[in-house]
Amino acid sequence: MAFKEPVEKYNNSITEVSISDLKVGGQSVLTGIYSFDGPVPNPPKIAMEVLDVKPEEWPQTLVDAVGDVYDDPVKWALKCQNEFKADMICLSLVSTDPNGMNRSAEEAAKTAKAVLDAINIPLIVYGSLNSEKDGEVMKAVGEACHGKVILLGPADDENYRTVGGASLGYQHKVAAASPIDVNLAKQLNILLGNLGVPLESIVIDPTTGGLGYGIEYTFSVMQRIRLAALAQGDDKLKSPFINMIGKEAWKAREAKISESEEPSFGNLATRGILWEAITAINLLIAGSDIMVLRHPESVKLVRSFMNEFFK
Amino acid sequence: MGLTGIQIYKLLPQTNCKECGEPTCLAFAMKLAAGKADISLCPYVSEDAKAKLSEATAPPIREFTIGTGTNAVKVGGETVMFRHEKTFFNPTPVAVMIKDTESDDVVASKLERIKSICFERVGKKLCVDMVALKNESGDKAKFMTLLEKASAIDKPMIIMTDNLETLKESAEKYKDKRPILYAATSANADEVAKIASATGLPVVAKGNGLDEVSSVTAKLASAGIKDIAIDSSAKNIKDAVKDNVFARRASIKQKIKEVGYPTFVVVNEITQDPMLEAVIAAGLISQYAGIVVISDPDPAKILPITVSRMNVFTDPQRPMVVEQGIYPINNPDENSPVIITVNFALTYFIVSAEIEASRVPCWLMIMDTEGLSVLTAWSAGKFVADAMAAYVKKTDITQKVKHRKIIIPGYVAQLSGEFQEELGEGWEVQIGPREAADLPKFLKMWKL
Amino acid sequence: MSKIIASSAIRGAYKVFDRVSKKYEEALQKFGPDKKVELPNTGYYLPVIYGLLGHPVKTLGDMKPVLEKCKSLLPPHVEDKIWVPYLGHTLDAGAATLFLFEIEEALKYLEDPIPYFVAEDCDEDHLWLGAADDIILRKRGVEFVDGTAPGFAAIVGQAPDVETAVKLARQLIDKQLYVFMAGGKFAEQLKQGGMQLGWSTRLVPFGEPVSAHIFSLGFATRAALAFGGIKPGDYKNILLYNKNRVFAFVLALDEVDEERYAAAAGAINYGFPAIAHTNIPQILPTGICTYEHVVSNVPLDEIVDRAVEVRGLKVTVTKIDIPVSYGPAYEGERIKKENMRVELGGPKSFGFEFCQMKDMDEVKDGHFEVIGPDLDEIPEGATVPIAIWVEVAGRKMQEDFEPILERQFHHLLNQAEGVLHIGQRDIIWMRITKKAFDSGFRLKHLGTILHAKLHNDFGNILDKIQVKIYTDPEKVKELLEVARKTYRKREERMAGMTDESVDVFYSCTLCQSFAPTHVCVVTPERPGLCGAYNWLDCRAAYEINPTGPNQPIAKADEIDPLKGQWGTVNQFVYEKSGNAIERFNAYSIMEDPMTSCGCFEAITVVLPMTQGFMVVDRDYNGMTPCGMAFSTLAGQVGGGAQTPGFVGMSRQYVLSKKFLLAEGGLKRLVWMPKALKEFLKEGLEKRAQELGLEDFYNKIADETVATTEEELMEFLQKVNHPVLSMEPLF
Repeated sequence: MAFKEPVEKYNNSITEVSISDLKVGGQSVLTGIYSFDGPVPNPPKIAMEVLDVKPEEWPQTLVDAVGDVYDDPVKWALKCQNEFKADMICLSLVSTDPNGMNRSAEEAAKTAKAVLDAINIPLIVYGSLNSEKDGEVMKAVGEACHGKVILLGPADDENYRTVGGASLGYQHKVAAASPIDVNLAKQLNILLGNLGVPLESIVIDPTTGGLGYGIEYTFSVMQRIRLAALAQGDDKLKSPFINMIGKEAWKAREAKISESEEPSFGNLATRGILWEAITAINLLIAGSDIMVLRHPESVKLVRSFMNEFFK
Repeated sequence: MGLTGIQIYKLLPQTNCKECGEPTCLAFAMKLAAGKADISLCPYVSEDAKAKLSEATAPPIREFTIGTGTNAVKVGGETVMFRHEKTFFNPTPVAVMIKDTESDDVVASKLERIKSICFERVGKKLCVDMVALKNESGDKAKFMTLLEKASAIDKPMIIMTDNLETLKESAEKYKDKRPILYAATSANADEVAKIASATGLPVVAKGNGLDEVSSVTAKLASAGIKDIAIDSSAKNIKDAVKDNVFARRASIKQKIKEVGYPTFVVVNEITQDPMLEAVIAAGLISQYAGIVVISDPDPAKILPITVSRMNVFTDPQRPMVVEQGIYPINNPDENSPVIITVNFALTYFIVSAEIEASRVPCWLMIMDTEGLSVLTAWSAGKFVADAMAAYVKKTDITQKVKHRKIIIPGYVAQLSGEFQEELGEGWEVQIGPREAADLPKFLKMWKL
Repeated sequence: MSKIIASSAIRGAYKVFDRVSKKYEEALQKFGPDKKVELPNTGYYLPVIYGLLGHPVKTLGDMKPVLEKCKSLLPPHVEDKIWVPYLGHTLDAGAATLFLFEIEEALKYLEDPIPYFVAEDCDEDHLWLGAADDIILRKRGVEFVDGTAPGFAAIVGQAPDVETAVKLARQLIDKQLYVFMAGGKFAEQLKQGGMQLGWSTRLVPFGEPVSAHIFSLGFATRAALAFGGIKPGDYKNILLYNKNRVFAFVLALDEVDEERYAAAAGAINYGFPAIAHTNIPQILPTGICTYEHVVSNVPLDEIVDRAVEVRGLKVTVTKIDIPVSYGPAYEGERIKKENMRVELGGPKSFGFEFCQMKDMDEVKDGHFEVIGPDLDEIPEGATVPIAIWVEVAGRKMQEDFEPILERQFHHLLNQAEGVLHIGQRDIIWMRITKKAFDSGFRLKHLGTILHAKLHNDFGNILDKIQVKIYTDPEKVKELLEVARKTYRKREERMAGMTDESVDVFYSCTLCQSFAPTHVCVVTPERPGLCGAYNWLDCRAAYEINPTGPNQPIAKADEIDPLKGQWGTVNQFVYEKSGNAIERFNAYSIMEDPMTSCGCFEAITVVLPMTQGFMVVDRDYNGMTPCGMAFSTLAGQVGGGAQTPGFVGMSRQYVLSKKFLLAEGGLKRLVWMPKALKEFLKEGLEKRAQELGLEDFYNKIADETVATTEEELMEFLQKVNHPVLSMEPLF
């Protein structure tokens, strides 16, 4: 008896979201790499994360890889675009954190605009994950970047009105973030919908757990959301995914601790890069559409893995 | 699959004889339903019922053991497509390949590392699980020498040779160690089946693609071989992922017996790039691979691969736990802050990572809350004032620090008063932040 | 519907039509039909016309068809003797008036100089701003979307004096509303009162005549087009968008003439009601607006509150104004005697707390009163009685929500630093520290806390809250009796509720994060399996958070009344379980029972040898007759699976009439841990009596007589348990 390939293609598809001239979503298969199940019109994208200030407490391996541009977000973004061949830039406005430098929304908006003007690939702008401040910041960023379409985020259940409002007012897209829960992800999309934000403008940030630090929760929640979207046709869950992978992966002790402190762990450079790349591969398998990474080497690895599916 | 506990109970003798080790037939039935017991434990069940039950409870992917003793690995036995449906059961063993063409020094160094690489995480050991030995030279003597050396480290072995005679001889020699034989192909399936049959050893069925693999497994099965792994000889990432996904779908959803076996992937035949090899291995483990073979026993690669595997194979309904105890972080002394939290592994990992990042020396007290997170443990009555006080008093924390201040998670601020009362005079309960991410700031401002 | 309003509005519309037609003809004469007409910097042409009619007016000539449309919209004058449903006619007249106003105002932009100051803010010499451009629209519109500004008040007319005008404006701004001004001298009054006017201060003077209020509606229309993604011409959705999202209303401060009636009629189309100070006829029944359409004769000092209520605007209190810190960190604080300034209620005295629903006009929002001595009049260290009496009103408030709100008091009050609150209802016990007292904390602050937190957490069901704190012993005693009567009534009401008496159940999917297929179905006779939510709680939770985990489940298409199976419930459970659970029996445990998450207080398990059931709760660690301890059972039935023969439930469910209904009811109960049995003793005896089961309580075994099925069987035979004479289960 010949083996019959059990291809699984669904009658529903992931909503296609256009961020400037780049599209994500649109597939009717479980993950962006299941090109053997059916067409993947928009293969998953790799965004590289750029901070708006010189990163504090980054492991040296990461600092070295980014090089001498890491105190200038514009140069940094350009390097990611030109040298590291990122598909998108994700500008993290960490300096706006009210518990940290507490930079104003206006200053942040200027940085965002400067980066947007410098690059020719699409831009994602993320806040400092302080709901209230992010709302304020995204309003200013949305206004400053009006005219081009960027992805603003994260909107959560506290600030979704403000971030959603900025998206509506200035025609941007929104990343809707909920804490690793199918129902909460759906609820937030409903709330954004009630506000008037169309599903074509939303990507889901399911909250990313790094390798060894809760990745299995993200992995399963993403798979459940995908099954609800594709198998059950739940419109509210058909959004593409964005995952803040670099940020979480590089938090891990295992990605940072030196070989001299933990001799059994082996070479730090190898370990750190793999920590990020393997976090990314798992989430790619779970359905990620936009993977936000930090290290150029892990970007290369993830790309080599992914490219095979689109040859 | 699919029989409920009650349906199984009805097939059992219903005598509560206790000979299976369970106090009642109902309890035994529930274990059978969950796939956590074997019907053969019941001495009185009728043959008819047994047949019905073993068909209903046998996993759609064959489960078997390779190796012996404490290092033996169990493979296969999976029942679901997605871990949230139940769980993935048998973590994919990672094998490292050694070729008999490699120099003695390389072999020695590889074996040493295969033996010694081992990380402990939440009470579980993450190691290189197997050693894959390849007769690259074609020379029998060389290969037998390699096997000899490899057998000394006592890891389950994969015997890889194209030469039937070599295969037969090594199988016979090492059959007590229960290696897996590699490989039966369309060309040699009958002969390999004989060797496997004679030695009782598991075998890998290899073919180009799942179609050919199916014909090989069919031959092996008809020769009475049950313990089989399948290698579809994928030469690129896409095919490897596809074959793993298709084999899992076909066996679980369509009950296609020919592919109802754990898969076997030689990752170093997919890529020569050692970094990419690690990424692919981890990816395939998450994508249903039964056994993966890589080339490089580098701890910096084995650690992320095996942590990734551990995460994916964690039972979603049974959280990972860490052992109760006092964990010193950043070399604390008698004036360092004391923090108490639950033993849910994720809580522990995140809290300890934040403390570590703060560089503030701390004593982290982990209390057994059966793996529940802070809020859940609190509402389930496991992380409440009297239990916490009882635990604190039981430990020797008062010998470790001079002060009597203890920090509780911000989410359980409401129990501070009662906790203080339970601890008694002299203690001061301090309320920490709600989120671990705010710990560094809190700790940096903390003063005795 | 007031005939007077209808006839006035329609007459007004005719007047406007005549005037604007004339002006239009003059302009046409002067500039010709190809003359460009535009408002400054907008992509929305004349937005009301463009939005509602889908017709872009670019030239003078383009206005012609609009005027014709207006003519056709104008209804016949109201005849004294004929009664027709006037609202429709009035609305048409209103819509026509809006189009006419927009043409009239747009024509002004052809004048030289333009009679408006084209800027974001007014300056010393220029008061009237005219139309807002698109940059202002976006910036301010985002505030409408995100709730920073819930809406606007369109002011018509003027206040009796400058002082009152300033006071009204401040009240509106305090509610984060924009104040749009036209048709009267209100803006001039504010300027005289020294207020800065312009978009930056949210006090926007559009123009002197009432027609300039078209810029208010132009703004509202563009908001719908820009933020609602609504296509021009889709008038229905533009109007609905504004009704549902823009909390705007008209405040008529003085006389309302025919033209103003016509304009107000236009605003009603958008769901914006009119609140008038003068004694004009009212339009009370609801229809287009959320609540009433026209409310009149409202005193000026109440007019803002009334408007907010009529428009359904919710109050949010951003800061709790008390002299001590507030937050969850203080929830667990204990107060020792030596630190205590005063003790209220508790074992040495008496006290209670009570929440009561009142009519809207009986509650003055934010009113706090202390009856009896306050903290500074009570000797230090003394114990006095207390009553916390909270009166609430809300358009969506129901009596059934009273106990749910009341239960919140405990943790809301406890979060204040220096305040301890224990217990509920008539067993409350409070202490307040000396430190809190010294910082200025007084009893009215209990009201401040409850007012702020209840508004924020329960805004969906509440509009007004007032709090009275009693410490006068006689008063407390007197009111305690009133409260106790209500407590009893509430208990009886819940106890008397049956599944048959309702047509809606509620779901709880809170636990799906770890039990993906679990759907808790909560009915009046079956609380959630965690014991934390009953049917009323779920209903309130749904009202408060309509997109949350508690959703209504219609109970219809009955399939099996004994097992408790309905088609609609099956469908709901199927969908919410991710298509995993196909059938659900509310009252059966052997066949398609409810799924279990992991939070259940107890588990009911079939005992095949006895053909009965045992119940074991979380607190019992020992072995049970089924051969599995609670923890083992929990591992096997949890996780969202349907496990026939096993079900997770709340402890109280044992006493429900629906417990084991399909299997024969309570009679099948054969074993429980001793502590649980004692906990439920009273209820068990009562239920047994109802069922005519003699000495049933003592026939239920516990761990002192049996921990194996065999021992249990022996016991059951000894006591002749009724299960022995029942039909076998299988």
